[in-house]
Amino acid sequence: MNNLKKTCKLLVFSITLFLSFSIQAQNYVGTNVKVNLFSSTPIEDIKAQSNKTNAVIISKTGEVAFQIPIKSFEFEKKLMQEHFNENYMESDKYPTASFKGAVEPNISWTKDGDYPVLAKGSLTVHGITKPRTISGNIKVQNGTISISTSFDVACVDHNIEIPMLVFTKIAKVINVKINGTLNLKN
Amino acid sequence: MIKATTLISFALLITGGVYAQSADSLMKSMTDTVKARTINSTFKSTHIVLSHSTETEKKHDLDLRIRHHFGDIGGEFGSAHTLYGLDVATDLFIGLDYGITDKLTVSIGRSKHDELFNGYLKYKLLEQGGGKNGNIPLNVTVLGQMGWIARAPFTTTEFSSYANRFSYFLQPIFSRKFSQRLSLQIAPSILFRKNVVDVRDPENLFSIGFAGRFKLTKRLSFIADYTLINGLNRPTDLSQQFYNPLGVGLEIETGGHVFSLNFMNSEYISENSFIANTQKSWKHGGVRFGFTISRNFTLFKSKNKDIQTKIY
Repeated sequence: MNNLKKTCKLLVFSITLFLSFSIQAQNYVGTNVKVNLFSSTPIEDIKAQSNKTNAVIISKTGEVAFQIPIKSFEFEKKLMQEHFNENYMESDKYPTASFKGAVEPNISWTKDGDYPVLAKGSLTVHGITKPRTISGNIKVQNGTISISTSFDVACVDHNIEIPMLVFTKIAKVINVKINGTLNLKN
Repeated sequence: MIKATTLISFALLITGGVYAQSADSLMKSMTDTVKARTINSTFKSTHIVLSHSTETEKKHDLDLRIRHHFGDIGGEFGSAHTLYGLDVATDLFIGLDYGITDKLTVSIGRSKHDELFNGYLKYKLLEQGGGKNGNIPLNVTVLGQMGWIARAPFTTTEFSSYANRFSYFLQPIFSRKFSQRLSLQIAPSILFRKNVVDVRDPENLFSIGFAGRFKLTKRLSFIADYTLINGLNRPTDLSQQFYNPLGVGLEIETGGHVFSLNFMNSEYISENSFIANTQKSWKHGGVRFGFTISRNFTLFKSKNKDIQTKIY
């Protein structure tokens, strides 16, 4: 009887152990992911950069999330930066842009290698959320995840108005590049 | 032994639960530490209509500012004979404002009236939304502006002492951006001057400025300011009648340029002149048209290749 009880407890212990390890999905986080914006017109090319983007990967489900603080973008001209925040992105009202989705199909996050992937999810810019499938590249090396992607965002899709009466010329479609590394979160 | 395994399983279950986070909650835990940042421009420019705003120039930006006040629209000096004041320039101003840092602006300018040379230092003390917890409710800027009258004296006694040509204007400015559309400002100030005609007119003149901006569209705003002077420490029954300056205008921003089209009763442009010497009133045709053109130049650009702008 006592023996049975002991076996039973051991069984519970091993099941719990197994469960806890399988539940213990490995999460990767990055806090200094770099985002580059590029607007190109025949008159003027404008670039901006932020390296304050947060990124999260839940390896078990393949979930990915990015959050970009709009006010962290730096421009060559401070006045341009002010206009970006005040007139185009309205960053007091919409302080972040974000992407939430999942890598499909999920990859093996612990095995070193280069994985071209598609991230399906929703992109929120200027308070407007659009479903997007974005292609990118994931590199796994010694437990560190490097991500890189380049995609276009049409201003009109996110209600970002470009008025006629501006001296600075802004493209209707902005190229966005995201690059960064994520590390295992303990 | 048995108790130990139970405890361990329990502990593992808990830790397992902790690790089973969603991307959302994990992101939230990361961003909770980021406090609010200072809000975007409360005003578009370093000036409103007549008065200074709490804004300063951005670091290494140079602002060329051209201002113009025309003559009386109506009354004795206005009407069709002067094309409603457009034939007359009661004051002209050309100035350069430069941002030494994002908080400190230095400026030099010159007005037609009195051949007044102006210099000011303006420092942003506090920014709304700033501070450790992002809970500063106001913008606070301090302004010190000097004026030097360069013209020849009108009478032999006018500048008997050379110091009489100088005036000093000190003003703490408080503003708040209440919404994307509405910003309001209050600014008590004191003007130290020597060049006073009436003995009962105080040399050290107190005033309170009120100003506001209401954005009509993203790039077009209604702006107004009013300065209360007469009746504070200055008697209202002086031999010369003085009025409180009131300016209203439309401000148009075009990216790099700010234009404002204004109407005001004040003939003069610099605080050192208009605070003490506004002799026209909104009644009796004393109001006039004026404009400001502000053009911004970035003098030192970032060396970071990732953000360099290329103009073809």
